[in-house]
Amino acid sequence: MTEAATTSVGVSEALRRAKSVLETITLTIVGEVSECTTKPGYKAVYFSLSDDTSVLPCLMWRDSYDACGFELRPGMLVEVAGVFTAYAAKGRLQFQVRRLTPAGEGVLRMQVAALARKLEAEGLMSASRKRPLPAFPAKIGLVTSPRGKAVHDVIRTLRRRYPVAELVIAGVQVEGDGAVAALIEGLRLAGAHPGVEVVILARGGGSYEDLMPFNAEQVARAVAQCPVPVVTGIGHEPDDSIADMVADVRASTPTAAAEAAAPSVIEIAARVDAAARLLGKALSHSVTERTHRLRLIAHRPVFRDANCLMSARMQALDSTAESLDRALPAGIARAEQLVLRSAEGLARIAERIAERHQLALDVAARNLAHQGPAFIERADRRWALSSARLDDLSPLAVLGRGFAVCYDHGGGRVLRSAAEVASGDRVRVRLAEGTLGCTVENTYPEV
Amino acid sequence: METIESAGAPEDLTFGAALAELEEIVKALESGQLELEDSLGRYERGVSLLRACRTKLADAQQRVTMLVGEIEEDDAE
Repeated sequence: MTEAATTSVGVSEALRRAKSVLETITLTIVGEVSECTTKPGYKAVYFSLSDDTSVLPCLMWRDSYDACGFELRPGMLVEVAGVFTAYAAKGRLQFQVRRLTPAGEGVLRMQVAALARKLEAEGLMSASRKRPLPAFPAKIGLVTSPRGKAVHDVIRTLRRRYPVAELVIAGVQVEGDGAVAALIEGLRLAGAHPGVEVVILARGGGSYEDLMPFNAEQVARAVAQCPVPVVTGIGHEPDDSIADMVADVRASTPTAAAEAAAPSVIEIAARVDAAARLLGKALSHSVTERTHRLRLIAHRPVFRDANCLMSARMQALDSTAESLDRALPAGIARAEQLVLRSAEGLARIAERIAERHQLALDVAARNLAHQGPAFIERADRRWALSSARLDDLSPLAVLGRGFAVCYDHGGGRVLRSAAEVASGDRVRVRLAEGTLGCTVENTYPEV
Repeated sequence: METIESAGAPEDLTFGAALAELEEIVKALESGQLELEDSLGRYERGVSLLRACRTKLADAQQRVTMLVGEIEEDDAE
């Protein structure tokens, strides 16, 4: 500094020297924006940062400013990174800004991350809490701002995809003071509305700060407590809001949320058509199968020739009749004598017997009157037993008559249709005595 | 096979309920476990459900109910 004391310099040189020293001071500064000029024609934007006691003039080249993606407004708290410099023409100290971010955002992000950790620790975000969405919601709730694009995006999407559903809308404030309470009330109204099966929580894009109500703890709890599944469509990629993390399904935009909440009419029409085809096919299959079974039964011998039912009895009857015929002529003469003699004797003893039996009959009649009902009941029971036995077509008895039962190879399933096996299949044939292992040579599905 | 109680006239069911019942009926019929009379009954029910589903799809007009707030017209429309 001895030079300064001894040699004089011009103003420009003085400022050049000052500037070169200032430009070694690189800093990140937080301050509130005042007096900003962002006229499009200018090469730079000019603004001042201040705190309680000081003011710092700043400039930011236009392309850097455009790249930072947000608009400066007086009163904003911002964080700027850059370097000090001097504007020689005015002899003015200024700060040249290279990077500009809203100062509040970093703090907000930290708070949001802390809340996310807390709710996650409580299990509010766990996959096991996520409820599946109904396949065909009859009523869909929508909680969003009644203004702006989001509400129309959802209405339009649902009208196109799934007009079958009724849309129940809670149009509420989604940003600024009061938005948290409004969102909670909207979720409560929509979630509790009778018949609503799924609720869409939507908003269009906005700044991180605008999104804050969707990061509120009470809103997250209202989402978690909603009696029906909640789909979020909060347009703020790539940031996930807390509401997104707690929701049952997270979609990136209101439109995507509407798509997630409802099926598409085209898919449904295909499903209805498939059901229509299957319905007809299933019934005709069921009828065909029964017709086939009926035909099998109709072709059994018993239905083809009714005589076979009676043949054994008929033969027995015939042979009895024959014996009777043979026995009669010789017997008749003897019987006549016998009858004549017996008739006399009978007439004699008949009176005696009648007397004797009259007494016994009286006793018997009394007994019968007394025991009759019990007897009838016993007889009934015996009749029931024997008819049950008759009905009980024991497979062994059937086998004894010469029928056979055909099982599949494992022996566990009785084959009823030739269609159940193919040529070359092994089957087992159970006879009255013993079992055969057979191989199918041909199948004839028709009887 | 569990029997499905017909929940009511197909036209009175929601679309989802009608389609779900229809698909149940198809499944039951395909199982081949039903009595013939039951099959026919269910088939008839299935046809009326099918008709109801198709009518609902064809006639669907989006209904919008406002619980709170009033929608502003979309400038884009």
